[in-house]
Amino acid sequence: MLPKFVSVIARAKDEALSWLSSLENPKIIAGGTDLMVKMRAGKHYSHVIDVAGVPELLGVTEKDGKLFIGPATTHARLSSEGSIVRNARSLALACGLVGSPQIRNMGTIGGNLANASPAADSIPPLLVHDAVVTLESRDASRKVPLEEAIVAPYVTSIDGKELIGSIEISPLRGYREGYRRVAKRATWAISRLGVAFAIREENGMFLDAKLAIGSCTPMPFRPRKVEDLLKGAPKNEATISDAIRMTLEEIKLISGIRPSYAYKLPVLKGILEEVLRG
Amino acid sequence: MKTIHFTLNGKRTSVDVEDNETLLHALRERLGITSVKEGCGIGECGTCTVLVDDEPHYSCLTLASKANGRDIKTVEYLSSSGVLHPLQEAFVRSGAVQCGYCTPGMLLSAYSLLLKNADPDAHDIKEAISGNLCRCTGYIQIEEAIKNAAEVCKCNSQG
Repeated sequence: MLPKFVSVIARAKDEALSWLSSLENPKIIAGGTDLMVKMRAGKHYSHVIDVAGVPELLGVTEKDGKLFIGPATTHARLSSEGSIVRNARSLALACGLVGSPQIRNMGTIGGNLANASPAADSIPPLLVHDAVVTLESRDASRKVPLEEAIVAPYVTSIDGKELIGSIEISPLRGYREGYRRVAKRATWAISRLGVAFAIREENGMFLDAKLAIGSCTPMPFRPRKVEDLLKGAPKNEATISDAIRMTLEEIKLISGIRPSYAYKLPVLKGILEEVLRG
Repeated sequence: MKTIHFTLNGKRTSVDVEDNETLLHALRERLGITSVKEGCGIGECGTCTVLVDDEPHYSCLTLASKANGRDIKTVEYLSSSGVLHPLQEAFVRSGAVQCGYCTPGMLLSAYSLLLKNADPDAHDIKEAISGNLCRCTGYIQIEEAIKNAAEVCKCNSQG
């Protein structure tokens, strides 16, 4: 049995926000794939607010050239949603690799983000698409870039009275885009390494490159200096090897030397070679 | 306690559940459906798999209240007409059942696959059962059974 709590099912976003503001020690639940495990291990909340069926928090909408993802949208839905497959292929691919079919049918992108695991598959693609998270409370709303919303492993800057209202991403068209990951098994395994990429190139030149690396540093990150180096550079082995060297240096700068790097960094080098050579 | 109403294996069902109760607990302890099993209890092994609106979910990680208004299927649904479903026949014939603990969940994941994809290839089958662990068979017999059942189902629907 789980620790005692009162559960309420929100029918609308306003209802969830009003409960969040008035109840003591509440927690939002959607898919429950992370939260139920934590509660079973003893984590206690007085109230659990179920937002999985709130219409405003579901699905993907396009507006003013941006895509707005409802946080209660499941990984299964995002992996096959037409607008995501067309405009954010790395995200569709990553969502299709999360956990198992059962986990993808239950787990949501908002939950993946709020859990803020360093190995979350959906986060590197969201970073590549410059995701901005709208955080709403009963009386206020603010927009925070995803890079600032996750402040440490499993820690976000989302206040206890706030709800993720939507996740806004910029579509990328004309890019070669994808998500590569390495795990102990092909499926149903936590990523040991995840790389989301979107690269635009023409006439032997890199015009633009967006990279995000997960499971290597405390938080998935974009190696911005490497992206700057690639922008406008000739697509050749010298550029690619410079870019990879800089990426590995940046990782060591962020995390120091870790025992897992004896394995991870050579594998990352191999993935980046494939990704950049295309 | 609150009362939830849902469709269980094709029948309208109402049951009183606690706020902090899992669907797994409600099915086993209140409704007597013991084919749904607790293996790991943390969403890794798949023995608690049920279909929610025909999609596999882990009932150990599902609050019972989430079943309200939904269509829930357990393995009993597959033989509710009194004869074994072609999937069950194929599992028997291929030796896909050894200790049997994973079997109800495996069958439900396979059934959900065949609803969406009448002609699955080996990769589709492996992917569909990747959230259900079997520690006896090594999976080969299970994959074979699902492939064979798909053929039978296709013949049936053509006939």
